[in-house]
Amino acid sequence: MTCVDPIVQTSVLFGGSIGMAIIFGLYIARMISYEMRPLEKPLARVEKGFFRLVGIDVNRQMTWKEYLFALVFTDGIVMVFIFIIFLIQGMLPTATPGLKGLSIDLAFNTAASFITNTDLQHYAGDQQLSILTQMIAITFVMFVAPASAMAAGFAFIRAFIRKNFGLGNFYVDFTRNILTLLLPVSFVSSLFLIYMGVPQTLNSSVTIDKTLEGHNQSFTIGPVGSLESIKMLGHNGGGFFGANSAHPFENPNGFTNIYETFLILIIPLAFPIAYAKLVGRGRGIAILIAMLIGFGIMFAIALTAQSGPKGLETRFGSFGTLLFTISSIATNTGATNSLLGGLSPNAVISLFLGMFVQAIPGAAGVGMMTMIVYVLLTLFIVGLMVGKTPEYMSMKISPKDIKLAVFIFLLHPTLILIPTVTAFTTGNAQGVLGREVQGQKITPFGYTQALYEYTSAAANNGSDYLGTSANTPFWNWSTGLVMLLGRFVPLGLMLGIAGSFTAKDRKEVIEPIKTEGPLFISVLVIMTFLLTALTFFPFIIIGPFSMLGS
Amino acid sequence: MKIVDMIKKEMRFDKNDKGQNAISAVSSNTSNKKKPSTIDRKVIQDSVTKLDPRYLAKNNAVMFTVEVGFIVVFIIALFPNISTEFVQFSSAFYFEIAVILIITVWFATFSESLSEAQARARVDSLRSLEKEVSARKIVNEKEVVVNSKSLKPGDEVKVYAGETIPRDGLVIKGKAFVDESMMTGESNPVFKEKDDHVIGGTRIASDNILVEITAEAGRSFLDEMVGLIESASRPKTKNEIALTMLLAGLSLIFIIVVGGLLFLIHYLGYSGDIATLIALLVALMPTTIGGLLPAIGVAGVTRIGRDNIVAKSGKGIEAAGDCDVLILDKTGTITEGSRSAIKFIPLQMYTEQDTGQAAFAASIHDNTHEGKSIIDLSEEKRFIPPLMEKILAARPIEFSADTGYSGIDFIPAKKTALTNEQQEEFAFISKLESENGNGNGIAGADNHHHVNCKVSSMLLELDKFNKEVQVLKGSVDNILALTRKANARVNEAEVRWKAQEVSKDGGTPLAVSINNEIIGLVVLKDNLKENIRQKLDEVRATGITTVMITGDNKLTAQVIAKEANVDQVMAEAKPTDKLVRVQEEQSKGHVIGMVGDGTNDAPALAKADIGLAMNSGTAAAKEAANMVDLDSDPSKILRVVKLGKQLLITRGAITTFSIANDVAKYFAIIPAMIMKSTNNAHLESLNIMHLHSPDTAILSTLIFNAIIIPALIPLSLRGVKFKPEPPQKTFIRNMLIYGLGGVALPFVGIKVIDLLLSVFMR
Repeated sequence: MTCVDPIVQTSVLFGGSIGMAIIFGLYIARMISYEMRPLEKPLARVEKGFFRLVGIDVNRQMTWKEYLFALVFTDGIVMVFIFIIFLIQGMLPTATPGLKGLSIDLAFNTAASFITNTDLQHYAGDQQLSILTQMIAITFVMFVAPASAMAAGFAFIRAFIRKNFGLGNFYVDFTRNILTLLLPVSFVSSLFLIYMGVPQTLNSSVTIDKTLEGHNQSFTIGPVGSLESIKMLGHNGGGFFGANSAHPFENPNGFTNIYETFLILIIPLAFPIAYAKLVGRGRGIAILIAMLIGFGIMFAIALTAQSGPKGLETRFGSFGTLLFTISSIATNTGATNSLLGGLSPNAVISLFLGMFVQAIPGAAGVGMMTMIVYVLLTLFIVGLMVGKTPEYMSMKISPKDIKLAVFIFLLHPTLILIPTVTAFTTGNAQGVLGREVQGQKITPFGYTQALYEYTSAAANNGSDYLGTSANTPFWNWSTGLVMLLGRFVPLGLMLGIAGSFTAKDRKEVIEPIKTEGPLFISVLVIMTFLLTALTFFPFIIIGPFSMLGS
Repeated sequence: MKIVDMIKKEMRFDKNDKGQNAISAVSSNTSNKKKPSTIDRKVIQDSVTKLDPRYLAKNNAVMFTVEVGFIVVFIIALFPNISTEFVQFSSAFYFEIAVILIITVWFATFSESLSEAQARARVDSLRSLEKEVSARKIVNEKEVVVNSKSLKPGDEVKVYAGETIPRDGLVIKGKAFVDESMMTGESNPVFKEKDDHVIGGTRIASDNILVEITAEAGRSFLDEMVGLIESASRPKTKNEIALTMLLAGLSLIFIIVVGGLLFLIHYLGYSGDIATLIALLVALMPTTIGGLLPAIGVAGVTRIGRDNIVAKSGKGIEAAGDCDVLILDKTGTITEGSRSAIKFIPLQMYTEQDTGQAAFAASIHDNTHEGKSIIDLSEEKRFIPPLMEKILAARPIEFSADTGYSGIDFIPAKKTALTNEQQEEFAFISKLESENGNGNGIAGADNHHHVNCKVSSMLLELDKFNKEVQVLKGSVDNILALTRKANARVNEAEVRWKAQEVSKDGGTPLAVSINNEIIGLVVLKDNLKENIRQKLDEVRATGITTVMITGDNKLTAQVIAKEANVDQVMAEAKPTDKLVRVQEEQSKGHVIGMVGDGTNDAPALAKADIGLAMNSGTAAAKEAANMVDLDSDPSKILRVVKLGKQLLITRGAITTFSIANDVAKYFAIIPAMIMKSTNNAHLESLNIMHLHSPDTAILSTLIFNAIIIPALIPLSLRGVKFKPEPPQKTFIRNMLIYGLGGVALPFVGIKVIDLLLSVFMR
């Protein structure tokens, strides 16, 4: 089960995930528009019971500010809860003797990392976390984080359905996402992964007598299967083990490799399908195609140079590795099945590109929202170019919308560059880069690692070069802060745009340039990449691009 | 024709002569005479004053940043020893960069000043259009002719029939009929006596009055508008604000990018020269559009002014670009606005001559264009009725909306005395008759040449029996109703059928009757304006729906609509229907443009997104509209729409161009920045432009960046060419020219400048 033919792999993967995305997308569309879902009756009964238990008024519609507050409030509570668990895990059951709580800065970093769906790991899960922590903190928050983002995505899409449709109720969306989407799907997936060889047990280790070398060897295991499926499905990406999906217990073989990639892609691709169902078939498909083209460009760049074999898992081969890694980075999952250091500079450039754009296809909900923001900016220019006040679906794009959109695009480079510069000027970067520092000078590879760390944090991606070596107070606090800002500020701004659009008049007017079809898709893709390229071009040049010649 | 002109002069007062014609004459003169003086000292002075950083900080963030860059580089040039790490070139190089930077800023302020100068020139020429009339001021009980401008409140002026009241005032003596149609749209003269208010610009129809002026000079409507153009605080339009926001955002992004580079390249072992980084920043920032944005906005107002349209704000012009439904009055916009008689259609019993004579008689006191055209047509065909003396002296039956007809009424036997004027006219017509050898005149009661004509004999017979004669013309329905009421015999089916035939051809039928007996129909037809079809085709090509609104019946309306190629027709419309339609279309999300001149148009004009009022229209209409056309040409709305689109396209095109330029600029400056201190072969592949040296690369990029601003001034003042075509096509073409061209041009431009520089910099 080593190398499957690349074309077969790709077509199985995309055929499968787009097919599944259509089913999921139609289901999500029903969730967004409160239509009857399959099994509505039993589902509603379960939900109602839950809502009554917690005291949620199902029918209350929220303004964008209330929605944002509810989201931040919920995530805030969960973050505090897991932060405390990380600190005191040594005192809780299932802790192996001698296991201590995490340091405050690492606990903060980890809590911020998981609640923001980033899953940047400055710890080694298999060594520093207890089984209980893995379950009630890590796996639990792996449901909370994507459910929040998807709920925001729901509210955002509702803004475009029709005037004053309402943005919905965060608590309802959030609960439904977990109960009727993430939980059942990841349960089934877990069973499948367990069948494929992923361990699922409450024992923290297993000892094998007499390995080939003739010694006894002890392996860390635990409830990996349950974590693994939601790690992929919910774009979390934080592995049970430090080696993430390169670890054979997380990703045993070529088939699970494809299956996990498939899980990653379903929900991000389902969002444009839901959008197509709700606001116009062509529009949703245009966005889906734009995302796929973006993804294709990433993949093509990565394929221009041979990756590995150093640092790659032989189980998946170079192509399987790239397919997994690029899918994972493009969706901001951040799971990796190889050492990033093993990838070619071109592949690294493509990973950066995915994190800079954040919308090809991006994480569940967030990717969709970001893409719509690109659409708005594109339409602004398009509108001017044809001599009409820019509008989307015949809703006028106001200066306020442009302001919010510009802030979103301004925030991203700010959150990446300012911390990176700070890390270098304070010497903290040099401190963790080891042999990439040569006297006063840092190698392009060393600089790339630091830039990657903050890019990953700002994009809520979670993959990194540094890993546990970045477990220093500076890196923990700074990346933690960047992750929180990179998550909640854009969410707030995008919900602000939703708030503005939900109140807009819309009507049956022919668009001067249709927001569908090849012309629009190509303009959208060009604009997306141009904006990104112009912002980050020099940093790629002095970083990964220079890695080749040096 | 000639006769009527004469008659008009003699006995009638025509309300729409002089006035607006005079204005349009003046305006076309001025626009030819006054070509805006382009570059004079004032423009230069103004542009230098605008270099004040405080002004730029408030009005142009992009250029302010460039100026800060200039200050930094200039200081480095003066003190090159400030730092060794960040200063690597010679002092002369920094001076050169500083000079280019400040010139870049000056180019931007210059473009703004230039466009403002043009706007001012425009305002001046608009001023000269203001109506000035001579007034008879009473000074020491004597009439002195003065210019209306010199009048002050409290002055007394005497105004005679046919003259214009110079300014708003109060009647203090006399009684008169005042024609206020140009202000209120009401065509019937209004009776004014002591203590009544009169409006400046209205005209006395009969008699004379003494008026005390109550209004200040310079409070006229036009004055207000001119003030709006001139006012320094140009309110920015929404699109402008959004674009400014985008440009500021891009600039901030590039500041962060360059700031980040400043620190990072240092750690990677590249030389972090500060001037190079400032050059990179200035090159990347959207300086082209940032510099030209104010000029584009002002130029929009100027250009529309050049068409003799006064816009109350830039907003109206921009909204015009969004317009997707145009509601056009049939009359005046699509057609000439005056229906003329083109044909007489007799009923079965009568001949064409009968109909013509009856129509002539019925129209003799009709002062409207239609009435006159009937007289013209009859005269042309020599269908002159007998008993002219009596017809001329007959009592006119005025047209009213209730009755729907007009005509004359006379008792033949009653001795009548013609007024002097009528006698003259009579003599005139008699002369015409005899000149054409039509026998021995019409003065006699026994006119032989009329014998074979039924109407003549009918009139003569009626005259003989001394019966009252009533000759009427009116809409077919109204006249039929009248005959029905009188129980006169009439073949209703024939009348209706013939009327319908007329309608089918786009004409309007009028029925003519003598003593309730219908003689025949007069066919009135409104002619299409010149080129209107072509203009409407252009409008349609840009995706705008045209709606024609008319009081005509459906058939007539359909024919005209077909001839003019209008998309939708609203026939048999009442005045209030306009507003209803505007609201209806708006609720569907359309952006409505409409033209109007009457008071009853005012609500619709105010509601419409683009309301263009005619200068000849009522004050209420002008107040409600957001633009006024001084030439009173309704079809100008099409020009406004085009201009609005052009304005947005110009902004969009230069923005796209500006952003697209950045690609080449990166390829020019990044190699210059890092090539010096690395021997990385892979990086060498970036140096696709092969510029002479890092110095020339930076200088040539900045020079290109600077000169592109003045190079585009003509484009921003004139506007990007706008072709009437589907938006898709416009978009693709502009994207190719300004997007792709914007990527390619700087590669060529920078390379050429670099080649030139390399000759000098050896």
